[in-house]
Amino acid sequence: MIHYLPTIYSNQEGYERLAELAMATVKLRADRLELDFSHVGFFDANMASPLGAVLARVADQFSAVEIVNVPELIERVLRKNGFLIQYRYQPLEDANRTTIPFRRLQRTDEGLFEDFLQRHLRGKGIPRMSEGLGKVFKQKIFEVFQNAVIHSESELGIFVCGQFFPQKQRLDLTIADAGIGIRESVRRYFNNPKIASVPAIRWALQEGHTTKKDKQPGGLGLKFLQDFVRLNTGRIHIVSRFGFYEFNGGKEAFANIAGDYPGTAVTIEVNTADTAAYRLAMEVSHKGIF
Amino acid sequence: MSDPIIVRVFDIVGGPLCVSTEDGQHVHDKIAPLLRDGRKVVLSFEQVDTLISAFLNAAIGQLYGEFPEDRIRELVSVRDLDEEDTAVLKRVVENAKAYFKAPKKFDQAWKEEVGDEE
Repeated sequence: MIHYLPTIYSNQEGYERLAELAMATVKLRADRLELDFSHVGFFDANMASPLGAVLARVADQFSAVEIVNVPELIERVLRKNGFLIQYRYQPLEDANRTTIPFRRLQRTDEGLFEDFLQRHLRGKGIPRMSEGLGKVFKQKIFEVFQNAVIHSESELGIFVCGQFFPQKQRLDLTIADAGIGIRESVRRYFNNPKIASVPAIRWALQEGHTTKKDKQPGGLGLKFLQDFVRLNTGRIHIVSRFGFYEFNGGKEAFANIAGDYPGTAVTIEVNTADTAAYRLAMEVSHKGIF
Repeated sequence: MSDPIIVRVFDIVGGPLCVSTEDGQHVHDKIAPLLRDGRKVVLSFEQVDTLISAFLNAAIGQLYGEFPEDRIRELVSVRDLDEEDTAVLKRVVENAKAYFKAPKKFDQAWKEEVGDEE
């Protein structure tokens, strides 16, 4: 089959378009997908993560994927970040070092992920980010990565990609999986097959809410992420199945998306010019912890 | 009274990355028997680079389901933890106390909207 991908921005509409691709290819098996980029006017580089997750599902059903007619400017971006290399395009050097390359990791690859972040977040990768901010940002990224490890059940792995915008002093990073989605975790936890995506995401975002059933407390990772992004004046998007969540300027917004995005994707936009010190709570002495 | 035992998290995990639940569980499994024996434990985070809540929930949070709060306060202390990570640990501890005090609160019936249009 041939699918014409439209313009993909890193927003709700972008995920709706990717959900359309996922739904159009859901029954494709031992076949061929030609993904035609000729209608793509713009492609936000971090969206290579969720696109990679959708295409990995297609390939997992023994179908060959070919990407064709990529407009030149978009091709350059997606060769620089390595996304197109898996589709037999040639790599292109990222001379300005503005990309966080596309990577597909397994759920057990936390060590590799650490190396990856070490290499691409610090120093040459993101020259303007202070060391303090880099550390806290990395911690929050791991909270998201670990959520995918614990909850997604994604056999196809975890997909990471990002882009740094030096003029805007912003870095967008998306971590996507091809797993069961937040809705399914919450449905199983409550043994209720009718829970919809948006209320499931809303529930999962509450402090202390976790679907873990192993007598371990949890439910802090996304809260920490929100706290960080609020202080940093950044932004979060979470897409999971039919649900979309945005945290921007301290405000939360939820929406239903017109389609089933097969998994969960979290985008963090960080303000790299931020020099604020990070304290997630009041100052705590070591004696007052327990 | 015997000297406190210094538990080096870096050594148990085998590196500076403290992010996984499994590694947190290893740390928990090292310290829980010591606490059962009434030994004082000093958790050292020296050389630890990245520390997140998933790890700390397993390593320390779940102790609140096994030991009384005042027993943990008496026996456990930490060192080599910067301000940021100390604040993260404090939140993990507060969350664990709440979780084990009122597990029902987190285990209630679904009361929000349902929808089978999806």
